[in-house]
Amino acid sequence: MIWIGDVLVSRGEGGVYNERMLGGARIWEPYRSKLAALYHVGKGVELESTMRVLYLGAANGTTVSHVADYSEAVYAVEFAPRPMQDLIEVARRRKNVIPIMADATRPETYAPLVEPVDLVYQDVAQPDQAAIALRNCVFLKPCGYLILMLKTRSVDVRKDPGLVFDETIAALKEAGFIVQETVWLAPYHQDHAAIVCTKPKPVKYGE
Amino acid sequence: MQSYWFGDVGEGRCSPFTGDVNAMVRHILTISTKMDTFTPPDWQQAVSCGFCNDRADYLARLQAVCIAAAEHSVREHYSGKDAELLQMVRTLDEMDTVINLLSERAADWYMVRHPAFSRKYRRTPANILVRTIREKSRGALGRVAGEIEQLGETRTALAREVSARANDVMPNTSALIGGLVAARLMENAGGLLPLSRLPASAIQVLGARTALFAHLKTHTPSPKHGIIFQHRRVHNAPREIRGRVARVLAGKLAIAARLDYFRGIAAPEFLTEAQERIDAAGKGDGA
Repeated sequence: MIWIGDVLVSRGEGGVYNERMLGGARIWEPYRSKLAALYHVGKGVELESTMRVLYLGAANGTTVSHVADYSEAVYAVEFAPRPMQDLIEVARRRKNVIPIMADATRPETYAPLVEPVDLVYQDVAQPDQAAIALRNCVFLKPCGYLILMLKTRSVDVRKDPGLVFDETIAALKEAGFIVQETVWLAPYHQDHAAIVCTKPKPVKYGE
Repeated sequence: MQSYWFGDVGEGRCSPFTGDVNAMVRHILTISTKMDTFTPPDWQQAVSCGFCNDRADYLARLQAVCIAAAEHSVREHYSGKDAELLQMVRTLDEMDTVINLLSERAADWYMVRHPAFSRKYRRTPANILVRTIREKSRGALGRVAGEIEQLGETRTALAREVSARANDVMPNTSALIGGLVAARLMENAGGLLPLSRLPASAIQVLGARTALFAHLKTHTPSPKHGIIFQHRRVHNAPREIRGRVARVLAGKLAIAARLDYFRGIAAPEFLTEAQERIDAAGKGDGA
């Protein structure tokens, strides 16, 4: 990741959402973007220029544009039409953003489009976030990364965020995922946690 | 065999898709994939298939198709008759907020200019007060009051349009509860399809979000009604049976919304029966 002093930036065409610039690079605001917040409070996943990313819950393409600056290709899935209009505009200006208007709970509707990816990034306001992530990991290469931005309040407003957090981690572990890092995004985002894990290598029988 | 956006691949063979972007959009929107046997597409396959020249070409063509498909889906989504009604209702509610805010401010300003003026014991409706302010004030205050009146007129016209449009888009719901309230219910649910999918119990408390969450969190009494309180049968009913009227009405509204979504035209036999049932609940019979 590119840091200028303690400011996280990405290099690419600016002016996507009137972001501020620093030394010709685009400032990636941790208060606006949960992924940027993850890099501030934790380690995250080092994005590389060879990486292919599946981005679930792309919204207006704000964070997508930064991820696209770092990576080779971003498959950006968004369900709602209003943010999709903005996302299409971002895609028109960037060669490596593929906008997909589909429901992330139903990967079969966009499966013919998405190639194997190195990173699945998920930021969706749905109750069954672990299940959605696992269903979308058919696209993830073995040993690839999954970053799940857990919106605990979307799972169940009545439940204690800590409990939701533990349950989600348990669900991921049960599916065989290796949890690398778990961190709350406070003070940047309330009741949001980031879970970074890796997909296991396929087990070869007879070894 | 696997169907991908660039063609079909299987048994060592590959047939690339031929056709323009529009044909391709139709193609990818209709492919059905079985996820248990699915392997993701590989760009090198597309190259060896003769579909594209290299990685950059693959991405460029995929992006072109995906942008076209996304635009198509967005257009489709907005083509429903309820999409514009939704924006109209939201505009109407926001205009109300703005008009009230500005009227309050103008009144405060006017009271500074006329220290002896008070609204107490006058029972002056806000619109009359605004007219008085416009007539008696010079400069910016008078013009602000004039603008508020203009906004009020636009609001009235918009409300009439909302009501007429609701009668057209959701004839059954509008017949039961009036165009304006029907449109508000639809707005709160986020569209006609989501409204038609709501259970009656949810329609009953639509618009009573704060009370509902207070109930769920701190076990305060549950809300009896949300937006449907605006229906005269509910707010005119005596306190003790208001909950019952609201429940019966919500039950009929849930059916009406489904009729509106799936049939799209008024169903007179349902409406008469529903009206009778709601009237009966208001009179106290029918548990």
